Amino acid sequence: MIAQLFPTCLVNEFHPAVGMSVARVLERLGCSVVVPEGLTCCGQPAFNAGFHDEARRVARHTLRVLTATDGPIVVPSGSCSDMLVHQYVELFRADAPAADAARGVAARCREFSQFVAERGGAPASMKTPARVAYHPSCHLMRGLGVRREPLEIIASIGAQSVAFDEQEECCGFGGLFSIKNADISASMMDRKLTAILASGAERLVSCDLGCLLHLEGGLRRRGAAIKVQHLAELVDEALE
Amino acid sequence: MSGGFAQRAREALGNQQLHIALDRTTAQLVVRRAAGLASLEDADRVRDRARASKMQLLHTLADSLRAFEARLVENGARVHWAETAADANRIIVEIATKAGVRRVAKSKSMASEQTHVNGAFERAGIGVVETDLGEYIVQLAGDRPSHIIMPIVHMTREQVGRVMAQRLAVPYSDDTQTLARYARAQLREEFLQADMGLTGANFGVVENGAICLVTNEGNARMVTTLPRVYVVLMGIEKLVPTMADLDRFLKLLARSATGQKLTAYTTLVRGPRRSGDDSGPDQMHVVLLDNGRSKILAGETAEILGCIRCGACLNACPVYRSVGGHAYGDVYPGPVGSIVTPGIRGLAPFAELPSASSLCGACREVCPVRLDIPRMLLALRHEAVEHTRQPAALRMGLTLFARVASRPRLYRAATAVVRRVLRSRARDGWIRRAPGMASGWTRFRDLKAPAAETFETAWRRRAAGRTS
Amino acid sequence: MSGARDAILGRVERAVRTGRIPSAPPHDRDEDGGTRADGDARRGAPDSARLQERFVLEARALGVETYVEPTAAAVCDRLRTLIAGLRVLAWNPDGLPYDCGSIVDGALLGSSPRADQARAEVGITACHGAIAETGSLALVAGPGCSPTVSLLPPFHVALVRPEDLHERFIDFVTARADALAQSSNCTFVTGPSRTADIELSLTIGVHGPGRVAIVIGP
Repeated sequence: MIAQLFPTCLVNEFHPAVGMSVARVLERLGCSVVVPEGLTCCGQPAFNAGFHDEARRVARHTLRVLTATDGPIVVPSGSCSDMLVHQYVELFRADAPAADAARGVAARCREFSQFVAERGGAPASMKTPARVAYHPSCHLMRGLGVRREPLEIIASIGAQSVAFDEQEECCGFGGLFSIKNADISASMMDRKLTAILASGAERLVSCDLGCLLHLEGGLRRRGAAIKVQHLAELVDEALE
Repeated sequence: MSGGFAQRAREALGNQQLHIALDRTTAQLVVRRAAGLASLEDADRVRDRARASKMQLLHTLADSLRAFEARLVENGARVHWAETAADANRIIVEIATKAGVRRVAKSKSMASEQTHVNGAFERAGIGVVETDLGEYIVQLAGDRPSHIIMPIVHMTREQVGRVMAQRLAVPYSDDTQTLARYARAQLREEFLQADMGLTGANFGVVENGAICLVTNEGNARMVTTLPRVYVVLMGIEKLVPTMADLDRFLKLLARSATGQKLTAYTTLVRGPRRSGDDSGPDQMHVVLLDNGRSKILAGETAEILGCIRCGACLNACPVYRSVGGHAYGDVYPGPVGSIVTPGIRGLAPFAELPSASSLCGACREVCPVRLDIPRMLLALRHEAVEHTRQPAALRMGLTLFARVASRPRLYRAATAVVRRVLRSRARDGWIRRAPGMASGWTRFRDLKAPAAETFETAWRRRAAGRTS
Repeated sequence: MSGARDAILGRVERAVRTGRIPSAPPHDRDEDGGTRADGDARRGAPDSARLQERFVLEARALGVETYVEPTAAAVCDRLRTLIAGLRVLAWNPDGLPYDCGSIVDGALLGSSPRADQARAEVGITACHGAIAETGSLALVAGPGCSPTVSLLPPFHVALVRPEDLHERFIDFVTARADALAQSSNCTFVTGPSRTADIELSLTIGVHGPGRVAIVIGP
C-alpha cells in the first residue's frame, strides 16, 4: 500500500535521520512511501501563539498538498499529528469547504507508532536489548490517546522499558513555551531529566522530536551521556 | 514578554522552600485523587453525566436562576442580585448595617475574595474574621491564598507558628496540632459572638433552593447555625438542577480535591430558622453575583463556568507545581485561574496567563467535569492576539513564518539560510549560544545544529538513485 | 433591585446565544429530567445486614468509634459508659431511641443558653438517616434537634437504628424529601472535624467534634 510521509518541519530541518528511519520501517511493513512535494509545516507554532490567520495560511497550503494525495498520512510526531487531526477542524470552523478537507485529512492521519501498531507491529528485533526510558509526549498521549502502542513496540523489538518517576508529566517543551516561558520550561525539564537519569536507562526514546531536542539539549548541558532517539530510529536500528 | 507573571514566576522558581512545599503537597493530592476516583463506581459515567448536567445548566441558566430564586424565596430567604463586585459588597454591608451587625464570621468563599468584601466591612467599621484555618492564617499574616483548597500550601509550619505567635500572643509552636488548637480556641469565641455569618456556596440546587456547603473543619456549620444573620455570596454559575445532580457532584468534588468520599460536613441550608427551631439564623440572604460571569458565558470560554472548584487541575499542572499560586496574580491560580482571571478582570492585564502553559492537557484529564482547558487557553491566546499588543518581534516573526511556510520554494530558500547561520555557530553539532529570540533556549539547553541537508533533499536523492 | 436582576438575566440570555457552550450528548442526559440517580435500574432492595456492615466499615475507616449493640439495654449501657463524667448536651430526650432519653435527664438541651451549650463536653443525638456508602450521619435540624448538639461539644455520640440506614445519599434525600423540605438545615456528618491546611499534616478536631462515636442498636 502507499503511505504518504509528512516529515514535519523539525525532522526535515534538524534530524532527517528520523525521516529516513520512518521510511525504512514503513517499507519493511510493505508500504510504498511517498513524500508529497511542497510540504512545509503544519502551522502549529502560529496556532499555539494565537495567530489564527497566519496559522490558517500555512494550514491551507498543507491541506492543498495533502488532499492531492491518497492513502494514510504517516506523521512522526504526536504534536503535528494532533494539529492535523484535531486543530485543523477547529481553525476552519468558519470555512465549510476547508473544514471538510480538514476532516478528510484528519481521518487519514496516523502518528508513526499508531500506524506501526495498526499494521501489526514492528518486524524487528534488537541484537542487544537496550534499557529504554520512554517519554510519552503530551499531544500523543492525551491529545491522540496513544499510550500503549509505543511501549508495545519497544517491548516487541526486544528492548526493555524502564519506568521512571512522574513518567507521564510534561517535559516542558511545549513549542514556543520553551522560549517564552524558558525558566518554567527549564524547571520542568530538570525534573524530567533527573527522573530519567535516576532510572538507570541507557536510552531516552520518544515519538516527538520537539521533546527530544529539548531534553537532549538539557542532557548535554548537564554533561550526561545517555543516548537519545526517536522511536523510529530505535525500530530502524533493530531492523538491521 | 515580561510582566507581572514572568517576574513572579522567576521569583517562585528561585524559592527552594516553596518548591519543596508544592512538590510534596501536589504529589500527595494527586495520589489521593487517584485513590478517591478508583473507589467511585462507574467514575467515567458519573463524570460524563456531571459534565452534561453543567453544560445543560449553562444553556438554560436564565430560567434556572429564575426558578432558583423562586425556591429561595419560598424557603424564606431574601434574594439580591449583584452585577459587580462593588454592588455585592454594598449589598452585603447594607444587610449588615441594617441588622446592626458588629462582627462577621466568614467561612470559605472565593467569590468574596474576588470582591474584597473584607475591605468593605472594615471601611464600614464592621469586624470580619476568616474561619477556615488556612484563610484565617492568611488573614493574620496579611498574605493571600495560593491554592483553591489548600490556601497556605506555600507556608511552612514554622512560618504559621511565627504568625500565630505574633498576632495571637500565644507561645510559639511548630506542632500542627497545637496550632490548630490555637485557632480553635480563638475562633470559637468569634463564632459565638458573631452577628452575621457569610459563606460562599459550593452548589445551589435549583429544584429546591438548597445551598450546599462542603467543608472539613466545621466552621461553615458554625456560621450557618449560630449568628442571627446569614448571607450567601454565590456566583450565578454555581447552580445544579436537581438533587440527583448534586449527588453526582458530591461524589466527584471531595474525591477530586482530597481523595475523601465526602468531606466531614456536607450541609444543605434551606432558609432561615423555622418556628420551633432552637438555632439557626433569623434572616438569610442570598446574593447572586455576576461580576463578569455573564461576559464569560457569552464567549469562547463559557465552559469554564462548569468548574466545581476542586483544585485537581492545579495539582496536575506542571506549571503550577513549578511556580505556585501567587505567580498567577489573582484569586484563582493554576489552569482554571488562567481562564477565569482574564474573564473576570479583563484579558489585557492578564494576557500572560493563558500563555503560561505547555498545553500538556493534564488538567483536562483530571477535571471531574472534563473541562477542555487547553482549548480555552488557546482561544484566549487568540483573543490576546486580536485585542492586545503583542511583542513586535513575535508578530513579525509569525507573519513572516506564515508567508514563507505557505510557499515551498521560498520556505526551502529561507530555511537554508537559517540552517547555514545556525550551523556556523555550532561546535560538534551543538550550539551553546543561539542568537536573537532563540537565546531563551540556550540559556538552559544546548541547541542541536540543523542538518547540512534537509530530509526532503536526502529523500529526493535516494528516490532518484533508486530509479536510475 | 429589579434593575440588577433584569440586567443580569438579560445578559445571561443574550450570552447563551453567542457563548461556546458544549452540548451535552443525549445519552449523558437524564431520560426523565434528572430525578433518576445513576444505576437505579440495576438495583434491588439492599440487604439490611449488608447495609449495616458497609456502614460500620465506612464509619470505622473514618476514625469513628462504632459500636453495634444487640439490645436496647446494651445501647443504653454503652451510652452511659461513653458519657460518664462528662457534661452532656442532647437532643430532646423524646427524640432519642432505645429509651435512652432517661439517661440524658437534666442534660443541657438545644434550647439552653448558648454559653452553657458551648461548655458541654459531649453532644448526644439520634439521626435522621445513616448513609452506608460513605459512613455518614444525616442530621436534620428541627424542634428538639438543634445542630449545636452535634457541633459545639468536642465529642459527639449518635444513636442509630437499622431502619435509619440507606445505601446512598440519593436514597436518603429521595426517601426523606418531605422532612428535608420542612427543615432549614440538614448536615451530613462524615467523620470527625479535621484539617490538613498546614503542610498537609492531618489534625483531627478543629471546630466541630474531634471525637465521634456511633452506637447502632437492634
